[in-house]
Amino acid sequence: MSGEVVKILDGNTFVVSDDRGDIEASLTDTTGLFSFDTRFLSKWVVTVDDQRLSSLSVDDLQYFETRFFLVPGMGTVYIDAKLSVIRQRAVAHGFQEVLTILNHDEKPVKLTVRIEAASDFADLFEVKDALEKKGRYENRVERGSLRLVYERDTFRRSTLISSSERAKVDEDGLTFQLKLPGHGEWSTELDVVVEIPGYAALEARKGRRRTMEANLDRWFAGAPRIECDWDPLKRTYRRSLVDLAALRFAPPVTGGRSLPAAGLPWFMTMFGRDSIFTSLQALPFTPELAATTLIALGEWQGTRIDDFRDEDPGRILHELRYGELTAFEERPHSPYYGCADATPLYVVLLDEYERWTGDRKLVRELEFEARAALAWIDEYADLQGTGYVWYQRRNEETGLENQCWKDSWDSISYRDGRLPGFPRATCELQGYAYDAKMRGARLAREVWNDPEFADELERQAADLKRRFNRDFWVEDDEYFALALDLEGKQVDALASNNGHLLWSGIVDKSKAKAVVRHLMGQRLFSGWGVRTLAEGEARFNPIGYHVGTVWPFDNSFIAWGLRRYGFKDEAAAIAAGILDAADFFDGRLPEAFGGYEREQTKYPVQYPTACSPQAWSTGTPLLLLRTMLGLEPLGEHLVVDPALPARIGHLELLDIPGRWGRVDAFGRGRVEIDGRPGARRTARTTARRG
Amino acid sequence: MTDAAHELFERLGAGKDLPVLKRANGTMLFELKDGKRSERWRLIVDKGEIAVARGSGASDCVLRADRKLFARMAAGEVNAFAAVLRGAVTIEGDPRLLVLFQRLLPGPPSRRQGRRSAESGRPRR
Repeated sequence: MSGEVVKILDGNTFVVSDDRGDIEASLTDTTGLFSFDTRFLSKWVVTVDDQRLSSLSVDDLQYFETRFFLVPGMGTVYIDAKLSVIRQRAVAHGFQEVLTILNHDEKPVKLTVRIEAASDFADLFEVKDALEKKGRYENRVERGSLRLVYERDTFRRSTLISSSERAKVDEDGLTFQLKLPGHGEWSTELDVVVEIPGYAALEARKGRRRTMEANLDRWFAGAPRIECDWDPLKRTYRRSLVDLAALRFAPPVTGGRSLPAAGLPWFMTMFGRDSIFTSLQALPFTPELAATTLIALGEWQGTRIDDFRDEDPGRILHELRYGELTAFEERPHSPYYGCADATPLYVVLLDEYERWTGDRKLVRELEFEARAALAWIDEYADLQGTGYVWYQRRNEETGLENQCWKDSWDSISYRDGRLPGFPRATCELQGYAYDAKMRGARLAREVWNDPEFADELERQAADLKRRFNRDFWVEDDEYFALALDLEGKQVDALASNNGHLLWSGIVDKSKAKAVVRHLMGQRLFSGWGVRTLAEGEARFNPIGYHVGTVWPFDNSFIAWGLRRYGFKDEAAAIAAGILDAADFFDGRLPEAFGGYEREQTKYPVQYPTACSPQAWSTGTPLLLLRTMLGLEPLGEHLVVDPALPARIGHLELLDIPGRWGRVDAFGRGRVEIDGRPGARRTARTTARRG
Repeated sequence: MTDAAHELFERLGAGKDLPVLKRANGTMLFELKDGKRSERWRLIVDKGEIAVARGSGASDCVLRADRKLFARMAAGEVNAFAAVLRGAVTIEGDPRLLVLFQRLLPGPPSRRQGRRSAESGRPRR
């Protein structure tokens, strides 16, 4: 009866329970207390006199704290309760739960309160794949506490459960015998601590809660403020900031500083691609996320060739995990390096970060990492020796097949639906490589004092651009092919990747107009946003993960690309569509939604995903604010060049941080959005940086 | 006795400037257990300058491991971070030093080399 799922978290520690606060997980079920990719509690059930509780209401106090109001009994009709139970739970290296029982009767009452506890210590990967455990379990009663232990060779994870009030402890839980006077109240604090021995950095950090609250206040105080005639945008902005705060994650190696994790709760870990894209989106708002992302990813940068982890020197990691399967090298996530875009994007982020913040110190400190990333593009990513970035996994058992952001099995196809073999060179990877070289050149010239390297990078970039515009251009229909196959032939489906190409600047100016016509045309633009794959392609499916849905994150970068080539109105149209969609989701954009025609469904159809909020969806409204206001650093100044949808009316973004200190930006909506501006109007072609 | 562990410390102590460590400062102490004996090494990092010393001393991070296991790590046969996760290697102190240290270890034998060493010239430019 309690299907509702409640999630709270701090970093990679999180609790998923039903709406009574109870946890009763099977191996494939996803409730529990999780930390460092391991489930530390799979059972946590409160009963009063052997009765389960029913939920009256749940208060989400903070992303790390929640409160459950309950009554004993499981009746479906109104319960005339003489007792109330309140569970207030906060995540902090495990969780603390204050369990309170109120007697509403005049008469005293005797009660037995029982908490059943158990853990299966499943690895997150096991929860996904339902794998058998290889170690042994033991539940120990120790001086008034219960310790649940799992051991496999030297691997050990345990959960320590204790209470402030005296309990009778057995191997399956804690029992309290209490006498409550008339109108009396009883409460105990339950402390659940996750234990990972041998890794001191992961050990208890008590009293975190006060810090977390102060931290959240500081977070809001530091971000720009918004004033706007259109209320939904204000709501969406606030929602984005709250969610981004929740998605911050301080891995043990960053000295307490945070970077954005990929998604809540299953992807609360370092992901190269997601952390970089989200940091780029959030740069005008919270530039410190970018700094931490650069430092942390730099410290884990690949240094050797390791086929199991798909690691190469200079490569930026894909994903880091801490669970049992990773520990025994049954999964390669220690960390896993199999992605082809994070490495060039690392250089892109470093440059963009400097343009906003002027923090040359960090750019100097990361010179080695940036150079190694640039070297990776030429030395390790060019698998075919054709001067392009290719990918093909070397770990064929547990590595990733598709190492670009569209990483599902059918995402890269020809028009007729055939799938190419490996290696593959998807088009956006070439754009990122081009941008990395151009931006690397700027850093080499202006910060690293190496004009020769800068010249060389620019020569390479120009050559790459020339070849790319020849080899990827689909002549008959005037757009860029999704990829090249191993024979160098075009994988010719029309996809949203064309928008990322605009963002990277690799598109010849003469071709931009045709590309924009496709992006804003009937086949790609749904009215809400640009679809991942164009209608009419054999594999098109409006609810196919990467073959027809609309991804908010994708669209935010497409809007940025449109601005880069001077297509302001088209960028505004995308912002309008995605922000309209955000309003349907109460300001929290999902990872993806259906690629149905807007006219047809009237509302955006959510694609079911496990993670919400998702970092780069959360960052999307932030980047769209940037593209609508036309914010662009120019030397020591911030240029503001607004092109807002008319409906937004007046928009102010106040105290934008950057190398200029803090500045304000203003804009007034003037772009009439009537469905498909690019298709109807003559597009503007005043390119600024393209 | 010469093995991969010794060779590693010798290589690190050869005074080569290692850019991987240039932002790091601190001393990492290695306690390598060999039966009842313990062998101790210190890796002293000062902005990329590396010194290696035998024996105990003040440190910011202590790594404890079985000597044989450590030798396999030093030879690239065992992944250091995975070994820490499964408790075969324990770490006390600043975990950042561990992350930087493990980057100095070689990888396992591989089928593949970088382009520069694997091929000469580019087919099409």
